[in-house]
Amino acid sequence: MNVQPRTLHLLRVFAVASVLVAIVHAEPDIAVTPIARDGQVLVTFDMTDAFGPDVRDAIQSGLPTTFSYEVELRRVSALFDRTIAQVTMTASVRFDNLTRRYQMSRSIDGRVEDARPTEDQEAVRAWMTHFERIPLSATAALEANGEYYVRVRAHTRPRNAWFFWPWGGAILGHANFTFIQ
Amino acid sequence: MAATVTSITPRRSATTAAPTPEPPRRPFRDNPRLILAGIAILLVVLIALVAIANGTSRFSPDFLSEFVLYALSAADLTMLAALVFVLARNIVKLIVERRKALPFARFRAKLVLLLLGMTFVPAVLVLIVGSELMIQSVDRWFNAPMDEILTSANKIAGDYYAERQLLVSDHANRIARALSSVDLGNRDVRPIRDLLAPNVTLQRVQMIEVYRVVPPQAQRGSLPTLEPVVDVAAPALPPGYSRAAADRLAAQALSGARETRSVETLGNSGDLLHAAAVIRAKDGRATGAVVATDYLTGDLAARSRRMTQAFENYNQLRVLKRPLAGVYLSFFLMVTLLILVGSTWMGLYMTKRITRPVQMLAAAAREIGAGRLDQRLEPQSNDEFGSLVEAFNVMASELATSRRKVERSTIELERKHVEVEGRRRYIETILERITTGVVSLDAAGMITTINSAAGRLLSLDRRIVGQPAMAVFDRADLQPIAKLLTSGGRTKGEPSAQEIAIPREGQELHLAVVATSLLAESGASEGAVLVLDDVTPLIRAQKVAAWREVARRLAHEIKNPLTPIQLSAERLRRHFSTAPPPAKALVDECTVTIVGEVESLKGLVDEFSQFARMPSPRTIPTDLAQLITDTISLYRGIFSDVRIDQRFAPGIPLVRLDAEQIKRVIINLVDNAIEAMERRGHIVVETQLDPSNSLVRVVVADDGPGIPPAEREKLFLPYYSTKRRGSGLGLAIVRRIIAEHGGSIEVGNNAPRGTRFTIELPC
Repeated sequence: MNVQPRTLHLLRVFAVASVLVAIVHAEPDIAVTPIARDGQVLVTFDMTDAFGPDVRDAIQSGLPTTFSYEVELRRVSALFDRTIAQVTMTASVRFDNLTRRYQMSRSIDGRVEDARPTEDQEAVRAWMTHFERIPLSATAALEANGEYYVRVRAHTRPRNAWFFWPWGGAILGHANFTFIQ
Repeated sequence: MAATVTSITPRRSATTAAPTPEPPRRPFRDNPRLILAGIAILLVVLIALVAIANGTSRFSPDFLSEFVLYALSAADLTMLAALVFVLARNIVKLIVERRKALPFARFRAKLVLLLLGMTFVPAVLVLIVGSELMIQSVDRWFNAPMDEILTSANKIAGDYYAERQLLVSDHANRIARALSSVDLGNRDVRPIRDLLAPNVTLQRVQMIEVYRVVPPQAQRGSLPTLEPVVDVAAPALPPGYSRAAADRLAAQALSGARETRSVETLGNSGDLLHAAAVIRAKDGRATGAVVATDYLTGDLAARSRRMTQAFENYNQLRVLKRPLAGVYLSFFLMVTLLILVGSTWMGLYMTKRITRPVQMLAAAAREIGAGRLDQRLEPQSNDEFGSLVEAFNVMASELATSRRKVERSTIELERKHVEVEGRRRYIETILERITTGVVSLDAAGMITTINSAAGRLLSLDRRIVGQPAMAVFDRADLQPIAKLLTSGGRTKGEPSAQEIAIPREGQELHLAVVATSLLAESGASEGAVLVLDDVTPLIRAQKVAAWREVARRLAHEIKNPLTPIQLSAERLRRHFSTAPPPAKALVDECTVTIVGEVESLKGLVDEFSQFARMPSPRTIPTDLAQLITDTISLYRGIFSDVRIDQRFAPGIPLVRLDAEQIKRVIINLVDNAIEAMERRGHIVVETQLDPSNSLVRVVVADDGPGIPPAEREKLFLPYYSTKRRGSGLGLAIVRRIIAEHGGSIEVGNNAPRGTRFTIELPC
């Protein structure tokens, strides 16, 4: 194929620009790690690249900011996967510009589990995006050698949606595992 | 405003007993009340949306960025879909209407396009320009000076709070160090109070609370707890203060947490700034905790809060700039789409409202054009269309009245036409049945009618109808008629009569022709009528009558002297019987001759007498076949070289005739045939039935030499004979017998040769 040098140059520019855009606008991702301990399925997940400038600005403006996570334990099936257990985790933070403190809270299935203030922004990031060993289900509900996966869907509020098509997709995390008893 | 015409309804009679059907439901587009209600609901929705959009600042961001934005976007998409649907549906309809060539399809298409163009282009332009202005105005909210002012104000308020907290924290630490050598377990707290009092009285802090550490109990795992020892508070502290925040902060400090400061808000009364410090003994052991509290008055706290709130609102607006702008743009787009949908729908509706009355007028006009004059339109407005509809209805009514008059006249005309037609058929039938020929001509001299008799008499067929009479009568034998017509044209209404003779198949046909001009009331010529009567039988009868008179006189005049002549001759013969032989021979010869000729004359006179005195036939129903059979049987075995065949048609009824006379006729004809064939040949006597004319024909045909056409008419005259012998009265008598039976006799050629006599008798 005979490609003109000018066209080749344009293709190169386009490729470089695409890579740069991808680096600048890194899409959030959720790393999910399920483990079975002490008769419980525990899930540790961490949402990366979600605490961007937009979220920081929203928090610093004093807007109550909430990250909601729908954590599902599902059994792999030929047709339709079956949900074994489901937990909704919510992490909220509100920054008081007068006292310069963050008031953080966490709830599980609508029940407030913890609330604390902080002045540390990094602590806020960890509070909002990192969840350690969340009990999801008893291992008794699992079948030995069964194929399962944990799916985490995250929604952030307030949504900084744009005009005309505000319906944005959720941030998804996914981890497969085989339950070996 | 266009007229609303609901339907084309034929006017019904009020006397119909059937229940009137329920009128069909008017569609939404034809119901102004529903339309107004719909517009009112739309306005209410719009006002509510405006109110919601204006009040979004009071709602949570989630409400703004999710509910409002989602609702507006959904409404936008719905209206966009509605607009596309309405446009697509009507475009398809217009295309279909144009393909079907429905009336006003092109007009409707143009009107819709015009209205759409008039609304679509400005609306889209306004949307584009307005959106740009809106985005720019939203961007202008966040300018550098405002940003700097609000940031500074927030920083001042925050720094002030931070500094006061730092001071309170320093005091707490200083007091904790001062209390490190004090026994907090002593029941007498006056030394501690004395130590703390200057801090409060000098307004370094507004309250100091001291806790001592209660050692853990014997149980393993239990933690040390704090127990309040003493508190010193300034009287300026607002009421409603509780120790909870201080207790919690002291415990938090004792546990080693980093957060040893807190702000407690008392609503409008102000804020309390708490700071905790751990009291440690010289060996570093925690013996207690102290919480110092400073008080910020309500005004100061409120102002600080307002500054911070302004900063936060500003920044929240900046953060929510996109969804906020989206809300306004969505709202703007929604209004634009509402206008477009509304204008499109209204345009289509108005187009329909304009074209439909015209369409219905056209349809009603077509109905009236098709003859259904009971079509009426129901006007529902008093505008120009209403007047037009009213005028149409008046026109239709007058047309119906005129139509009824015309129908009545038509019925009368039809009745008269039927009557005239009947009369015409009557006259035509008569003309067809009569033996008188009638030929009519129009003013231009064209033949318009010719009846059967005329056609037969003149040997013309009906194809001459429409041809010029002078051309038709230019034929050699018909030229007398042409001359009569020419002369009749000059008489101006006076009938001109003439008897003319036309040669027909070797005979003369005598016609009495009367030409009468038809004159209109004004005197103008409307044509002419030729009436032709076949007077040939009459002339023949006249001739026969003349001959009978001659015969009667001849018989009378001749027969009387014959007897004396005969007697005289016989007397002479007797007188000269004794005379010498020569004389006697001469006398005998003369007297024999005289007596013979006298006898011959007597026979001739007898025939004349018989011809003159032939009696009228006494007719009785007779079997014609049997009569012919009996008559022909007389010839059996007489003429060996003559063969006579009989052929009788089946179904011939009994015929009223005089058997003796008809027998004589047949004998006469057969004798003539045998004589003509010189007693050698073939004769056929047959009968034929003509039921349509109620005739029976008797045909006597031979294969003799035949009769020249010129001789045929003379055959039936008395004293005409082609034979050497005979009186020449045979066929004259035959014709007379047949004529007195109401029939006719004709002579013609036999095929392939010979003569054929045809007798027609009524049956």
